Amino acid sequence: MNAQRLGLSALRQGAKPNVFFSNNVQRLAVTLMQTRPVTTSKLSEADAQSLLAQQRRQRPVSPHLEIYDKSQTYYGASIGTRISGSIFSGGFYVFATAYLVAPLFGWHLESASLAAAVGALPIAVKGGLKFLISWPFVFHAINGIRHLVWDFARGFSKPAIMKGGYAIAGASTVGALALAFLL
Amino acid sequence: MASILRSSLLRQTALATAARPAGVPTCFIRQPIQRTILRDTARVSAFHASSRKNLLPPGPQVIKGTVNDPAPVPETSPSHGSYHWTFERLIAAGLVPLTMAPFAAGSLNPVMDAILCTTMLVHSHVGFQSIVIDYVPTRNYPKLRKACTWLLNAATVLVGIGLYEYETNDVGVTETIKRVWKA
Amino acid sequence: MAALRSTSSRLLATASRHAFKSTAVMSRSMASVADATVESSPNASSDSRMKSIQVYRWNPDSPTEKPRMQTYKLDLNKTGPMVLDALVRIKNEIDPTLTFRRSCREGICGSCAMNINGTNTLACLCRIPTDTSAEMKIYPLPHTYVVKDLVPDLTHFYKQYKSIKPYLQRDTPSPDGKEYRQSKADRRKLDGLYECILCACCSTSCPSYWWNSEEYLGPAILLQSYRWLADSRDEKKAQRKAALDNSMSLYRCHTILNCSRTCPKGLNPGLAIAEIKKEMSF
Repeated sequence: MNAQRLGLSALRQGAKPNVFFSNNVQRLAVTLMQTRPVTTSKLSEADAQSLLAQQRRQRPVSPHLEIYDKSQTYYGASIGTRISGSIFSGGFYVFATAYLVAPLFGWHLESASLAAAVGALPIAVKGGLKFLISWPFVFHAINGIRHLVWDFARGFSKPAIMKGGYAIAGASTVGALALAFLL
Repeated sequence: MASILRSSLLRQTALATAARPAGVPTCFIRQPIQRTILRDTARVSAFHASSRKNLLPPGPQVIKGTVNDPAPVPETSPSHGSYHWTFERLIAAGLVPLTMAPFAAGSLNPVMDAILCTTMLVHSHVGFQSIVIDYVPTRNYPKLRKACTWLLNAATVLVGIGLYEYETNDVGVTETIKRVWKA
Repeated sequence: MAALRSTSSRLLATASRHAFKSTAVMSRSMASVADATVESSPNASSDSRMKSIQVYRWNPDSPTEKPRMQTYKLDLNKTGPMVLDALVRIKNEIDPTLTFRRSCREGICGSCAMNINGTNTLACLCRIPTDTSAEMKIYPLPHTYVVKDLVPDLTHFYKQYKSIKPYLQRDTPSPDGKEYRQSKADRRKLDGLYECILCACCSTSCPSYWWNSEEYLGPAILLQSYRWLADSRDEKKAQRKAALDNSMSLYRCHTILNCSRTCPKGLNPGLAIAEIKKEMSF
């Protein structure tokens, strides 16, 4: 069989000009490599299973987060909701705990001193800080309401899902600007 | 012999430029193969997703039972399942009017303020809880999971006490936010 | 002789495939292998549209070697329109060691599910982007254990499918003793559910399933679960719901909706899961 393949490939080589010579040899090499002498041995069921289990342990995990399309929902709204929520909840937890232990360390976290501290900041910093806080707040709120709507099994059409993401980013910017500079 | 003819081994051997692949006629194979391989290696980029950089690295693959056994079904516990979910949604839905109210009324009376605080605390707790369940799975990190759960519970209790202190000794959360915002 | 015959039949097949597309290649007979290699070589004629395709490679024969990306170049003028055509051509003509699953080539078997340019889809239903300046990247389904190259191990996925008892369960016989009848309205409830081919595109697009695939069932299995919950003929709804009523099986779904966006059959697993949650909530 090998001899025949060799012969066939040699014929092809002869028929073609030199430019393709190396390519043909490459193909021939591939053909040769594909023919494996049959050497099989019989395995018991248990042996086969343990061999499979051993092979499984060596398998890599295919890439996921780093290759998945970044424009999909999870990268914006979904993880954004979780992150913004964690930031606010984390701040809430830290503040309340700090207030509880403040007398022990002599910190001043009363509303009056907080307001005074913020009031001392320059106006641009104040505005920036307000926007930085209000944007994730509005974003989290709108996404939360959207999730509640989804829980009634509504708003699942694909255009709604895709347009919704952009609409929410826009709406949170508008809402955050309003909160930061109109209130 | 069969292993020598395997392409991967062949590739490795050729890359190392150690010896000619035994069992394959040198005159036909060696040079073009090496040339292809060199060209291929130039085009092959290493895949930059080493398991060390992965989030939540999954362990080696282990399949319990044979292919024909169904995956185990966890015990029914509505308090971690459907009741929990419904409760979570009711809290989230309750937060919608509660957060709207101060914007409409300017500020809240102490009772409503306390209700808002409690709801926010529960909402935060449930949110953190789902983060722990998602990212610290029991099957991989049983001890860390337990530690996280109890840390969260303790933190929530502490924060609860802190909020009680704040609500009783200071002006209340909504009023504080208002004063800081307008500072 | 057998070897000769198989080779030549393959040659004829390639030749006839091209013959449908242009008359220029009709003149070829024996030399199509050489021509095919030329097509895949970089210095092809000027009117060819060479497209680079990067493919994820990993070989279980050398498990210590890291997975890598390998680039192949194909002339789009001589390749079929779909990604699967390109893969088959690479395997036939450039690199026979490239491994992937395929069967029906028309989106009904779900074998060729893979991640193409960042989105999970069926290679046979995905057109090759005609922009030749951009490289196309092909990975196996995300966060799966790789058997070889583009072949993921879906054993656990199928075991999970089995765990939801995907068959009609009832104790009472049909009233007429012949068949279980269903009104047209009840049958219509199964539209958008029964079409699922279990290609695992949606499940492996779900970050929740990435992190918790051992316990969370994932969109595909939950859609199948709802297919039986929505079936008017099934009588074990309470048991089916009880099996989902824990923190992991169903409630790891956070309505991320990658599943609904990626489904190559145009189904909506996210909606099916929302329906299950709604049914179970009160």
